Amino acid sequence: MLNRSNVSDNTVVETEGRNQFLPVSLKLAGLLLALCLVPLVTHFLDRGNYVLHIFSTVYLYMLLALGLNVVTGFTGLLDLGYVGFYLVGGYTAGLLMVRMGLSYWFALPIAAIHGAIWGLLRGAPTLRLTGDYFAIVTFGFSELLFRIVKNEEWLIGGPNGFVNDIPPPVILGIELYQYWQQYYHILILLLVTLIVVYRLQFSRVGRAWQAISQDEEAAQTMGIGLYEYKSLAFAISGAIGAVGGAFFAQFQVNISAGVFEFWESILILCMIVLGGMGTIRGSLVGAAILGSLGEVLRILLSILKLPADSRYLIFGLILVLMMRFRPSGILTDNPK
Amino acid sequence: MTLFLEQIINGLVLGGIYALIAVGYTMVYGVIQLINFAHGEIFMFGAYFAFLGVTALNLPLWLALILSVVLCAILGVIIDLVAYRPLRSAPRLSALITAIGISLVLQNVARMIWGAEPRRDLANAKSDFLAQTITIPGGAQLSYLDLSIIVLAVFLMAGLNRLIYLTRIGKAMRACAQDKMAASLMGINTNIVITITFALGSGLGAIAGIMVGMRETIEPTMGYYKGVAAFAAAVLGGIGNITGAMLGGIVLGIAEVLGAGYISSGYRIAIAYILMILVIIFRPSGLLGRASAKRA
Repeated sequence: MLNRSNVSDNTVVETEGRNQFLPVSLKLAGLLLALCLVPLVTHFLDRGNYVLHIFSTVYLYMLLALGLNVVTGFTGLLDLGYVGFYLVGGYTAGLLMVRMGLSYWFALPIAAIHGAIWGLLRGAPTLRLTGDYFAIVTFGFSELLFRIVKNEEWLIGGPNGFVNDIPPPVILGIELYQYWQQYYHILILLLVTLIVVYRLQFSRVGRAWQAISQDEEAAQTMGIGLYEYKSLAFAISGAIGAVGGAFFAQFQVNISAGVFEFWESILILCMIVLGGMGTIRGSLVGAAILGSLGEVLRILLSILKLPADSRYLIFGLILVLMMRFRPSGILTDNPK
Repeated sequence: MTLFLEQIINGLVLGGIYALIAVGYTMVYGVIQLINFAHGEIFMFGAYFAFLGVTALNLPLWLALILSVVLCAILGVIIDLVAYRPLRSAPRLSALITAIGISLVLQNVARMIWGAEPRRDLANAKSDFLAQTITIPGGAQLSYLDLSIIVLAVFLMAGLNRLIYLTRIGKAMRACAQDKMAASLMGINTNIVITITFALGSGLGAIAGIMVGMRETIEPTMGYYKGVAAFAAAVLGGIGNITGAMLGGIVLGIAEVLGAGYISSGYRIAIAYILMILVIIFRPSGLLGRASAKRA
């Protein structure tokens, strides 16, 4: 087939990794342990809290990249408005906690369900259409949400979508607002997401998504219900994005509409493109590189006296060059 | 009543501008089934090229306009050659992501060269003649600039229509839109047709950019906002359908001005998205598209 997707080749690599079960799981356990020990190390560093903040941000991006990867990577539909779910989660959790005094532990699942509902609603009109229409609707959806939080003061409670003083989560009377607590918080959310997405990818559902991404008609002929499986992907992806948003709301304490602009969607897209679409490993690596590069560039650009926004020039170049020369991401050995 | 009339006129002018941009989206989509996200940026560069012509080169406005159209046509063709052509046989997702990337690059290049602040140089460069207004029956004021934008837009649209339906190259473009493989078997050089499509669309986009620059301001994000609205207009009319893009542009222009005037100015841009999503839900083939375009 001419348009054979590169997604499948990557997945084969990962499946092979899974077969040699023990060494990989040992490596993973070591990595996990190392990640758990990071706050201990940064405790002795001069600017340890800043390092922890960057780590937490990178984990958050990893979580978002994993969520976007479910739709764009697994089912092959371009999502240009992923930040919409991030926004839904952030404002759902933020408003529930600030306005109604709800505990974070209730606000988080409600935000996730809210995200999933919007995922379904957003995808529904395009189920019968080609992927181009999906891309358009996702784009319009996130821009509309952005306008709504920016303009509807009665709903949000402040101009420009400001929600202030979002309280931290509380466990046994302890407020989890310190950097190391937030670090473990997002690490746990990330691990749970990772397990969910990993289990999905190698399940019947994941194989169905892969089939859809390669050839919708052939998948349908094989008895895969396009609408059901696509909708499932939309809902899961939306829920993950909203979880990220809910975490972000209490992590930032104050949120405003400006954070949820279109470019944020593109940044997350750029992450999964760089690492390799359709692979979990790729999403994580892409998010790690671009998530930390964002911080580095912010400092570097201000030294060079360039506007901070020009980092998007680099993101744009990454998208173009990756698609041209390594469409399956930087991790694979075969360039095409 | 006067206010309403003035808003309708404003809507028509805006609609004419949208239509000029929208045909660029729709022609490219018709020929290579790609949503050329970079088209909005070409429109923005059109305004900046004219701005350069007027300020740095001290050209008269009409010459700056021609220069800008030529430069933008070249830019559009180069983008196609460098970025899109190598991906013709790749999955469609790749080309779509490339288009997004090109759009980001162009927008940020413009911001680095000319800065983010809005510029009024094109608006200031227009002659006193264009700044004059006439009062039309009903009491509304119509500036010569708006009048000439409407006239020029109608003229260009009619010209494009004639080009597509009466000339050999137009016939070749329609053939490519129907079936590229069959067209090339009939001896049509599809690559040249695609190049001409990009040049035409980009040139029209440049003219629209200059029009916006003369009415409002020039800034690096104008391609993004106006580009998205124009794309919505193309979807509204039925993507791939040139007459549809013209109609969609005018409908959207009027809807946007009326919506901003009577509902809420904060949602000015959102009206385009709402119309676009409604069309996709209820009539995916657009106002003028055929039903078969559903699974284009």
